[in-house]
Amino acid sequence: MNPNVRIRELQRDKCNFVLSGVNLGFANSFRRTMMADIPTVAIDMVVFEVNTTVLPDEFIAHRLGMIPLISTNCDEGMRYTRDCDCELGCPLCMVVLTLHVRCDMPGTTMNITSDHLQIQSGGDAWGGEELTKRGEDFGLPVSKSRGFNGHPILIASLRKGQELKIRCEAKKGIAKDHAKWSPCTALGFEYDPYNKLRHTTYWFETDKQAEWPLSANAEEEEPPREDAPFDYNAEPNKFYFNVETDGSLTAKEVILKSLSNMQSRTATLVYNIKHQSRPDAMDTTDAPAFPPAGQRTSGQDQSYTNASGWGASPNTSGANMGWASPNATAQGGWSL
Amino acid sequence: MASSNLPDRQTLYVLQDGERPLEIIEDTKIPNAATFRIYKQDHTLANMIRTQLLEDKNVIFAGYKVPHPLEPYFLLKVQTNGSLTPTDVVNTACASIIATVSQLEKRFEEQFRDKEFDLGAVDASAQQPFYSDAYADF
Repeated sequence: MNPNVRIRELQRDKCNFVLSGVNLGFANSFRRTMMADIPTVAIDMVVFEVNTTVLPDEFIAHRLGMIPLISTNCDEGMRYTRDCDCELGCPLCMVVLTLHVRCDMPGTTMNITSDHLQIQSGGDAWGGEELTKRGEDFGLPVSKSRGFNGHPILIASLRKGQELKIRCEAKKGIAKDHAKWSPCTALGFEYDPYNKLRHTTYWFETDKQAEWPLSANAEEEEPPREDAPFDYNAEPNKFYFNVETDGSLTAKEVILKSLSNMQSRTATLVYNIKHQSRPDAMDTTDAPAFPPAGQRTSGQDQSYTNASGWGASPNTSGANMGWASPNATAQGGWSL
Repeated sequence: MASSNLPDRQTLYVLQDGERPLEIIEDTKIPNAATFRIYKQDHTLANMIRTQLLEDKNVIFAGYKVPHPLEPYFLLKVQTNGSLTPTDVVNTACASIIATVSQLEKRFEEQFRDKEFDLGAVDASAQQPFYSDAYADF
C-alpha cells in the first residue's frame, strides 16, 4: 500500500482530511482507533462532602465525568490505576480536582461551572518519570485552558444558602471503558459518495436523485456515466475523514497517537505469534501433560513420542528433556 | 452496587495475569490452513489483518469472526496455497500494515507542517481560536 493524505482543514480541535491508497479495513481500523483507543483523563470518582443543591450526588457525579480535561500526552504522562503500584491512587495515576462553591446572594441563582474546579497540586514531590512528560495544564478542565474562547460547562445552579463541596479523582482510561474517555466528539467517515461500489442501497419515495442529495465530498470524485457498467472488482480507496475532539487532545494528537497505537497493536501480535510456542512464566509452573489444544499438531504422532521426551508418563521422562516443553511439539509440527 | 455481577470492563480489552494472548489451531481437515484465536482484541485489529491478508497472492482464504459479543476474542482463519504457512502470511500482513502506518505517519507530519506554516504562526495552536465555528453560537 502506498498511503497518501491531504488535510483540507486543520484547527486545534478539528481536522478534515482525505486518506487514499489504503484499503477499507485499514481506514476503518484507523477510525475505530481514534474513537476508542486513545487514552485521556476524566473524572471517575467523586467524594461529596457537602451537597445541598437540588441535584442528587450521582446526578452531579455523572455530569462531572463528562467534563473534558486536558490530556496532552496522556498515554505517556500517566499510568492506568491498574498498572500503578499505589493502593489508593497517587499523582502518577490520578489527578485530584476540588470544588467548593456556596451561594450567598439573595434573590438570584448562581451557576457552578467547570471553571470552579481547582486542581489540587502537590504531585511534583513524587518526581515520577511520567510527570515530566505531561503537557501544560494537564488535568485542568478544557474551559480553563489558555486560548479557550467558548463557554464553561454548567454543572449545577445554586440558590441562596446552597452549597457544593466535592473532591474529584480523575483517572486515565479509554472509551471502551466509558465514552467519557473518548477524545473525539464526532468522527465523520465517508467513501464512494456516488455509491459506484453499491455498498449501500438508497431507499426512496419517488425520485432517488432528489431525495438523496450528494455529499460535499462528491466534488472530489468523477461522477459516473449514466451508462457505465457496474465494476464489481472496484475497491474503495479514497476516504473522507472529519475528526472533531472535545478539546482534551488536539485533533493532530489524536491522529498521530492513533497511528502509533495501530502500529504497536500489530507489532504486539507479531511478537505474540513468535513467542506463543514458548512456555511463559505461567506455563512452566503448571505445564500440561499434553500440549494445549492450540499447539497440538495433526497427524504427526512423532511430535508426542520423539526424543524431546513425550513419554507415556511425563514424570519419568527425565529432568532435562522436560515435559515442560510445549515448544518442542511445535517444532515437530508446522513451523510457528 | 446495583449491578455487582457486571464484569469489569477492562477485562474485555486488557489481558489478565497469565492469560495467553493467542492460540494457533491448525486445521486437521484442510491443508495449509490454521485458525488464530486472538484474545482481548476486536474488529479493529481483525478486519485490518483480514483485508491485508486478502491482498496476498499466497492466501486462498482469509476470514475472521467475533463469535460472541460478550466474549472478548476473535478467530482468524487463514488458508494458503502451500508455499507459505498461515503463520508466515499473517506475519507478512502485519509487517505490511506496520509499514503502511509509518508511511502514513510521515505523510501526516508533512501535511501538519505545511498547514501550520500556512497559518503563519510559529505556535499555531496558541493563536487559533480553541473551538471551531460549530461552537460559536453556543
